[in-house]
Amino acid sequence: MTILSVLALVPTVDAINIALQNRELSSPDSQYVWFANFIALFHDARFLHAMWVSLIWEILTVTATMLVAIPLAVLLFEFTGPAVRNALCVLFIVPVLLPRVSAAFVWKFAFHPLYGLAAYPLHLLMGHPVDLLADPYTAMLTVAIVDVWQWGLLFSVIIVKLLETLPRQPLEAARLDYARTWEVYLFIAVPMLRAPLIALAFVKMVESLRAFDLIYVMTRGGPGVATETLDMYAYSQGFIESGLISYASSMAVLMMAVTTIAFTILWRWAR
Amino acid sequence: MKARAASTLAMRAIIVLVAALVVIPVLWTLISSFKHTVDIETTPPTLVFTPTLDNFLYVLNRASVRNALINSIVISASAVAIGAVLGLPCAYAVARYPTRRAPDIQFFVLSLRFLPPIAVALPLMVIWLDLGLYDTRIAMIVTYTLFTLSITIWLAIPAFRQVPKEIEEAAFIDGYSAYAIFFRIALPVASKSLIGAIVFSFVLVWNEFLIALMLTTSDARTLPIVASELSQLGFDTPWGILNASVIVLSLPPLMFLGVLSGFLNSLFKRNA
Repeated sequence: MTILSVLALVPTVDAINIALQNRELSSPDSQYVWFANFIALFHDARFLHAMWVSLIWEILTVTATMLVAIPLAVLLFEFTGPAVRNALCVLFIVPVLLPRVSAAFVWKFAFHPLYGLAAYPLHLLMGHPVDLLADPYTAMLTVAIVDVWQWGLLFSVIIVKLLETLPRQPLEAARLDYARTWEVYLFIAVPMLRAPLIALAFVKMVESLRAFDLIYVMTRGGPGVATETLDMYAYSQGFIESGLISYASSMAVLMMAVTTIAFTILWRWAR
Repeated sequence: MKARAASTLAMRAIIVLVAALVVIPVLWTLISSFKHTVDIETTPPTLVFTPTLDNFLYVLNRASVRNALINSIVISASAVAIGAVLGLPCAYAVARYPTRRAPDIQFFVLSLRFLPPIAVALPLMVIWLDLGLYDTRIAMIVTYTLFTLSITIWLAIPAFRQVPKEIEEAAFIDGYSAYAIFFRIALPVASKSLIGAIVFSFVLVWNEFLIALMLTTSDARTLPIVASELSQLGFDTPWGILNASVIVLSLPPLMFLGVLSGFLNSLFKRNA
């Protein structure tokens, strides 16, 4: 246990340490510049933009995932027999088991403007090839679809399992009172599952922060900087464009601080 | 009554549609991995083609892919094995000998997952560079062990708690030592959930991308990294080859579909 704590603390402390220096990829020498990196960050328009993109990405994927998962789980629970439901539950965890890189390529191929299966109906509809990933307005939505494809379906399976554990009496009582099916779920089942649903949303929030691979493969933060989230930007600053490790690290430290504070507040509030 | 039947039908249609959304893209990738480039680059997409194994042969004969495949297997397997060997006794200790600190330890282990991966990767990169171990399998194994260890502990604690205490007490009265109880009673009884936990940690590191991207440049690159780079071969994206590499990359986690779905079931049945 102690070893584990040390292993975990070392990177964190080291990240802060590096963030206070001016280390670059090309040379191992560095001096302490204290908070210069952090001050520079707030004058960096691209950083502020990346922060905005990350925020939208978080809100978009978390809401969409929950909005897909809950109704889908209710449908599965209400309209399928046990055998079919179990088979579908196995099927629906396939997307999330796929490596992110694979899922990204599967959909990048499907959305290919000329040869893609998913893009072809759009091609017919619009009369010309449509490249959803090249348009700044649709690129983020398209990547978000893939994210929801992976996580929304997994969550619907989990919610089905949770629905199966609920006591049946309250639901049946409501039915006897002539409640409509959707009313039964909206006013009885979902409130009964409030705690696990909040926990799931929380998990998704954490998970959405690590969507780097998906974005990296599908758009590389593009077109332009339309889908450049904080980790994309930190990566490109640290490696591709300039090798400013300390600058990237200060971004990572800031992310760490913001997410820790945000999650602690949310967690307290949810409880 | 007729309206109700119609709405049931409509709802079932939605479910079928969602199922199709899972199956078709994956199936399409699988089919396309057996296509020649001419058959892929058609508008509209076609189902009529002469199958070929060229894409798979190309992928599996490429030195970089082979190297990455071996790396991925060695690194994932070692990290999972070390994670299990160290993590299981650790989890057992927390589950059986609860101290005041136990919940803190549990939360701390989980909080490792909260950290943005880039915040973990950057300092690790500097550490490995300074140690001269950057881009080696050792560095990747140690890094990934951090993940497998925390996940194994986190999932194994509840699995060990489920083992009935009475069995262990009976064994104790029969003169079993604490170690014997762990190896001959607790491990076998909890084995089903434990295997689920270990498999889960495997899928996690096999699929991992960002940290591998930052900690390797050539020698120790793992399969997801190399697969993602295949898209930059030549001028045009070679979709056939790409699809074949996607299939190769996705097979190992999918092999465990049954184990993991069973694990998910047991995870949520318990709470009932």
